[in-house]
Amino acid sequence: MRVRVLLWVVLASAVAALLSRRAANADEERTFAGSAQLDYHLVASEPAAVAAPGPGTTFEGFTLETAVKTAVDISEHLSANVKVCFGCHGFELDMAYFDFRVVDELNLRFGRFSPSFGAFNLRHDPANHMTSDKPLPYDMGRMLRKGDWNNGVLPSPFPTNGVEVNGTHWIGNVAQLDYAAYAVMGFKNDTDPNPTDFNFQESHLPYYLTSDPRPESGSRLALTVKTGGAADMTLGASGLFGTYDPENRLTYAIVGGDYTLRIQHTALRMEYLVRRQEFDTSNPDIFKYAIAPAGGDFFAKHGAYVEVEQPFTEALDVLGRIDGMYRVGNVSNVPVGSGNETPELSPMTYRSSVVRETLALAYSFERNFRLKGSVELWEFSYADADGRETELSFHLGAVGSF
Amino acid sequence: MAVEPQPDALSSEAAADYTLFSWRCSKCHSISRPLNSGIDSDEYWRLYVAKMRRQPGSGISAEDSVAILRFLHRYSIEQRRKKELRLGVSPPEPDASSPTGTP
Repeated sequence: MRVRVLLWVVLASAVAALLSRRAANADEERTFAGSAQLDYHLVASEPAAVAAPGPGTTFEGFTLETAVKTAVDISEHLSANVKVCFGCHGFELDMAYFDFRVVDELNLRFGRFSPSFGAFNLRHDPANHMTSDKPLPYDMGRMLRKGDWNNGVLPSPFPTNGVEVNGTHWIGNVAQLDYAAYAVMGFKNDTDPNPTDFNFQESHLPYYLTSDPRPESGSRLALTVKTGGAADMTLGASGLFGTYDPENRLTYAIVGGDYTLRIQHTALRMEYLVRRQEFDTSNPDIFKYAIAPAGGDFFAKHGAYVEVEQPFTEALDVLGRIDGMYRVGNVSNVPVGSGNETPELSPMTYRSSVVRETLALAYSFERNFRLKGSVELWEFSYADADGRETELSFHLGAVGSF
Repeated sequence: MAVEPQPDALSSEAAADYTLFSWRCSKCHSISRPLNSGIDSDEYWRLYVAKMRRQPGSGISAEDSVAILRFLHRYSIEQRRKKELRLGVSPPEPDASSPTGTP
């Protein structure tokens, strides 16, 4: 505890000293930005369970996401970023890191940040995407039946502590090659006696010391090619690997590929992710199915989305998206983080899927203020407690940024 | 309604610079972020555009950043002029030449 307090004091002092020094020296080298989104989610089919861990859990009603960020360029080679957000997890330190850039091709990042994975995470702030929610593979809490699925494949953002080496190299004026490699604390489940999945709430806790000493490691490689003055496309691949239990026995691996084509302001985006994750089978009673003697100790969760974003006028943008997830593997009857020792029968099956079709509009009243509305049709492969496989939901939100 | 610089009201070179700026700088965030940032220093824009150019998949080449900086230079002059008018200070003659230094 004393070490933790000392580290807090040292970190806070360093940030305060840095900010005060910059304020005294050069205000123009500091930027301050922020955003806030208020969204109302209406589920036409009136979900039975709301906002508590457990099968069928669905948020319905208002949600608020807000964040403020400060970026300080200390020199041409050193910069610092601090971002604090407020959402479902309360106050969260989304980023607090330094970048030490030797050259464009070699940058050392250390502190707390979301490691480089996939294409979406760069746009995860609600001011930077046209829908109120995120694509299903990156969903963090807004999907219907999130308790069944324990959110997306890789809920975004995923801040964690560690170090990343990254860089970018331009080949003439036509191609940009990006890479990143990192070692970070990663995802956890230290609380469940028989871990079967990540505890995302716990993974977001700002640990300084952890009972899991082995870091998660990963990398990303992406190539952007300009195919004309107004068009470019990016092809990327990402992967990460780690363990998530205190004994470092249970492994997980997430790999993904992404493609983005942008022609003027029109964007076509697609991503695919899959997570293979081992779970603790020492208590077979918590599982819905008998443990298979071979290959019965893991599940695979696939997720993908395809979306097209098209401005209709200077103020109105339209987005169409199809996304979904497919999970294969045994099913735990104990929801992650529920503390429920009495298993309930999960409605999910050995092979479960969900497909969602979204039509969204975003209208900018002012340069920094946008209304968002969307309608979503959900098709699950399994019925809920009321026998429904198809559901309809609506979002109406407003987002402002500065 | 959103009020953005109107390309029709600009010279052809300025319109082309604005168009490129709006394409490149709206890839990851809305262009309101730079336009409402309050930054009106050419030197800071030079550092900032270089930083954005290094973002993964930015698609901002060295060639693009020259045109983007040219637009931001003109935009900064306009912002300074408006600020001075608000404060009741006589605005200096605008210098719309290209900013010094290239990224």
